[in-house]
Amino acid sequence: MYIVIAGAGRLGLFLAKKLAADKHDVCIIEKLPAVCRTLAIEARNILVVEGDAASAEILKQAKIEKADTLVAATSKDEDNLIICHIAKNMFGVERTVARVNDPTHMELYKYLGVDVPVDSTSIIARIVEEEASFTDFMSLLSIKKGRLSIVRVDIPEKSPVINKKLKALKLPPDSVLISIIRGPQIIIPTGDTSILAGDEVIAATLINNEKALINRLIGKI
Amino acid sequence: MYIIIIGSGQTGRRLAHEFSIANNVVVVDKNRHALEQLGERFNGMTVLGDALALATLEKAGIKEAESVVLTTGNDNMNLVVGKIAKEVYKVKNVVLQIYDEQKSELFKKEGLKIVNKTQLLVKVFSKSIF
Repeated sequence: MYIVIAGAGRLGLFLAKKLAADKHDVCIIEKLPAVCRTLAIEARNILVVEGDAASAEILKQAKIEKADTLVAATSKDEDNLIICHIAKNMFGVERTVARVNDPTHMELYKYLGVDVPVDSTSIIARIVEEEASFTDFMSLLSIKKGRLSIVRVDIPEKSPVINKKLKALKLPPDSVLISIIRGPQIIIPTGDTSILAGDEVIAATLINNEKALINRLIGKI
Repeated sequence: MYIIIIGSGQTGRRLAHEFSIANNVVVVDKNRHALEQLGERFNGMTVLGDALALATLEKAGIKEAESVVLTTGNDNMNLVVGKIAKEVYKVKNVVLQIYDEQKSELFKKEGLKIVNKTQLLVKVFSKSIF
């Protein structure tokens, strides 16, 4: 794949090196001449274009029309938005991914048609919140733009689902148990499997049903 | 007419003074000092806040506004807020100041009203010579 990255900050640079190591063709666009010079010496497998990525001219120099994906990783949301907009509307780039710097600007990314806005602040805040609050459950992963969620639930002793066969459990719609971790054992559940206290359950659920599923398994909140 | 001016720099303030004589004007800026510089001659309201946050735009009454003028001095900021005003809030008149000539041409094609200083100056100079 050919990927163009706008902004050689911490994220842009890390990503560029990682993608290049995975044998993708990578071009990085950076405003600051000094950063570009170091980059050209340091990372020879990355194409470097010096200039403002929010201009059609510079994007052309980066061969944007050949890009499969554009990543806007600058620290200014207005710049990321315009970079994505030009790449998509002028050059027909199929997939635009952007770093959302301020979570309150998320809506703008949706309105202006950025395909994948990545709000790292909210993602980190969520992880920290979950790690800090010692809850019985944790969202492990969310995919499909946050619509599908994989959760881990620790089954407490007073859980209403203990010692019941899975086929007898009424789980919320659009949710499924993927596996049960019991000590060293990993069980792929069937309808005849029972849940015991102390089990760790891994489940997939549509995000809207996440709370209901956790309630069902833990029996509170 | 209800007009929102975003960006209380030199141009924004001049426009605010001018427009507020006969219209309802709200000026938005993220810098308190910039708003204070509007002074007593300005007969309108001010909103302190980030124009990229929809909450700020709504506080300024963008849902009722007939015109939005963008003079923040940051081309990309003006373009983003301009497009949101036009496409999300369906504001009738959206006028923005853009410094970069290429960007002016590019976004004129998308139906935004763009004022470009260089192009204006060239016109004025040419007129006064020929």
